[in-house]
Amino acid sequence: MASSPVARATGRVAVPVLGLFWLAVTTVPFLFMVMTSFKSQQESFSSSVWALPEALDLVNYNDVLSGPFLTYFKNSVMVVVISVLLIMLISSMAAFAFARMRFRFNEAIFGLIVAGMIVPIHITLVPIYLMTRQLGLYDSQFALIGPYVATSLPISVFILTEFMRQIPKELEEAARLDGCGPFAIFFKVFLPLSGPGLSTIAIYNGIMLWNEFIFAYVLTSSTGTRTLPLAIWDYQGQYTANIPAILTVVTLTSLPLVVAYAFGQEKIVKGMMAGSLKG
Amino acid sequence: MTKITLSGVNKSFGANFPVIRGVDLTIDDGEFCVFLGPSGCGKSTLLRMVAGLETAYTGQIQIGDRVVDKVEPADREVAMVFQNYALYPHMTVYDNMAFGLRQAKTAKDEIERRVKEAARILQIEPLLDRMPKALSGGQRQRVAIGRAIVRQPKVFLFDEPLSNLDAALRVHMRSEIATLHRNFPAASMIYVTHDQTEAMALADKIVLLHAGKDMLKHGSIAQVGKPLDLYHRPRNLFVAGFLGSPTMNFLEASFVAQEPAGARVVLKGGEEIVVPVDGSALASGAPVTLGVRPEHLAPVAAPGAQTLTRKVSAVEHFGEYSFVYLDGGTPAPLIAKVPGDGGVKAGDSATYQAPADCCHLFDADGLALNHI
Repeated sequence: MASSPVARATGRVAVPVLGLFWLAVTTVPFLFMVMTSFKSQQESFSSSVWALPEALDLVNYNDVLSGPFLTYFKNSVMVVVISVLLIMLISSMAAFAFARMRFRFNEAIFGLIVAGMIVPIHITLVPIYLMTRQLGLYDSQFALIGPYVATSLPISVFILTEFMRQIPKELEEAARLDGCGPFAIFFKVFLPLSGPGLSTIAIYNGIMLWNEFIFAYVLTSSTGTRTLPLAIWDYQGQYTANIPAILTVVTLTSLPLVVAYAFGQEKIVKGMMAGSLKG
Repeated sequence: MTKITLSGVNKSFGANFPVIRGVDLTIDDGEFCVFLGPSGCGKSTLLRMVAGLETAYTGQIQIGDRVVDKVEPADREVAMVFQNYALYPHMTVYDNMAFGLRQAKTAKDEIERRVKEAARILQIEPLLDRMPKALSGGQRQRVAIGRAIVRQPKVFLFDEPLSNLDAALRVHMRSEIATLHRNFPAASMIYVTHDQTEAMALADKIVLLHAGKDMLKHGSIAQVGKPLDLYHRPRNLFVAGFLGSPTMNFLEASFVAQEPAGARVVLKGGEEIVVPVDGSALASGAPVTLGVRPEHLAPVAAPGAQTLTRKVSAVEHFGEYSFVYLDGGTPAPLIAKVPGDGGVKAGDSATYQAPADCCHLFDADGLALNHI
């Protein structure tokens, strides 16, 4: 049914207004963060919150980068890259089985895995902490990889299974006629064709794990093993907090994501859409 | 030897949905066999059973001397062309065609030789480096056929390969498939279609399949034979009605008597027609159905022997020929396909002759009476 002229006109006005409102909601904290990172601690208290920095003072960046920040950064990169690769491999194999193989309890097992999405990670903290200690992994980067992969699998399996269900059945049958067994069908046909779905889960999980705090807080304790979200603790005392330094850490932490988005905007948006739209 | 034999083949989807019943069929060495039938008759399922893509069935399928019921699709020496082409979107045309050979660990230079030879036959040499998305529908279909050719299979399987193409391209590709059959005389071909024109044009043998209640009552196979045999000597009402466009006219009649020239029947309108069939098993007054194709009804000036006179309800002109719709007192109008403009208009009374050797007679069970 065609919309009325009034509704169309309202839409023409409302959409940009809502867009600008949302831009403000997301940009203002970001600007506050970046601006404050260039202020001294004294200036941050004395000047208005929204005042521009008096000078482009890089002292906070010097302080942060000369501290253990780079170790945290290296740990974050290692943990996130390994976790995301494992998530992509495991969830794509599981998704292939759920989407394409007929076996008993297929739907029931799929349902159970997807139901994992509704389990709050906080109720798993104590058992995971105990298991990590028992495995001797406490306070190592590897302590984080297991929980990260496990908690990311439900949504990843869900997205990829839906994606693989959209791949025409005939491609699988053509591959069978071409002499492929299940592994060859998966690695040579389904995995390459799941690129957009894999991008989706890589982006989604990459961002989530890059910012993950609670497991990192519970399962690591020393400077050598901690990840970026914990770096702000270095600038927070019992009664005081070095706000500009903390926001410098946050700025530097978010920088890789901002750069990645700036360069790969088109692919990221496509990847995020891939789960919902048929390619 | 690429003879294909299906013996007592049955298949159901679940416990209550039989799709194939009692198929006994032999496709000879090098034969072009078309599975034809309405939607849901199981023709694609039957083809997929030969390919090995449908496994849960009873009965036996043999390719050459080998029973293949437990043999993997890749080991059956068959190649299949799918309705939607099923080209691997992430591979070039060359890689699509070479994929099966690489899986079979064929030597690299042999793969190159075979792919280039197939590309030459199908005139797709300039496309070898392209991705499937950069090809037109006809080119994609050629690549799909090329992928089948390079494997040098004993049996080619085509699952409605032309149904996604536009009408002009369909005619062109049809002739290319016929050429392919001539180029590979040793390979048997099974071709699935619901398009009777494709079936008539390509087939050495047509297997016409029943659907629904007919399948449950009579089994899947309605009739097997050469295209013109099915057209001229349909075994039952279903076959007679399925082949031919427009469809065969059916008129209710009563058997009068068996004469030396054939069975004499009387139509509801009172006209008497003699059909050269053996009706000696019928009792006088037995209900029968007279069948005559629209193209066999010839306009005549005046009523006489073997003629029908009816009121014209509509005329459709196609230039070379016209369809004259006659109010026959039947639910569906009678249709006469006549040359030119037909010489009549709606409201006229027109007389058409049904030549005896073009008439068919079906008993109360819908089975055709044998011609004499």
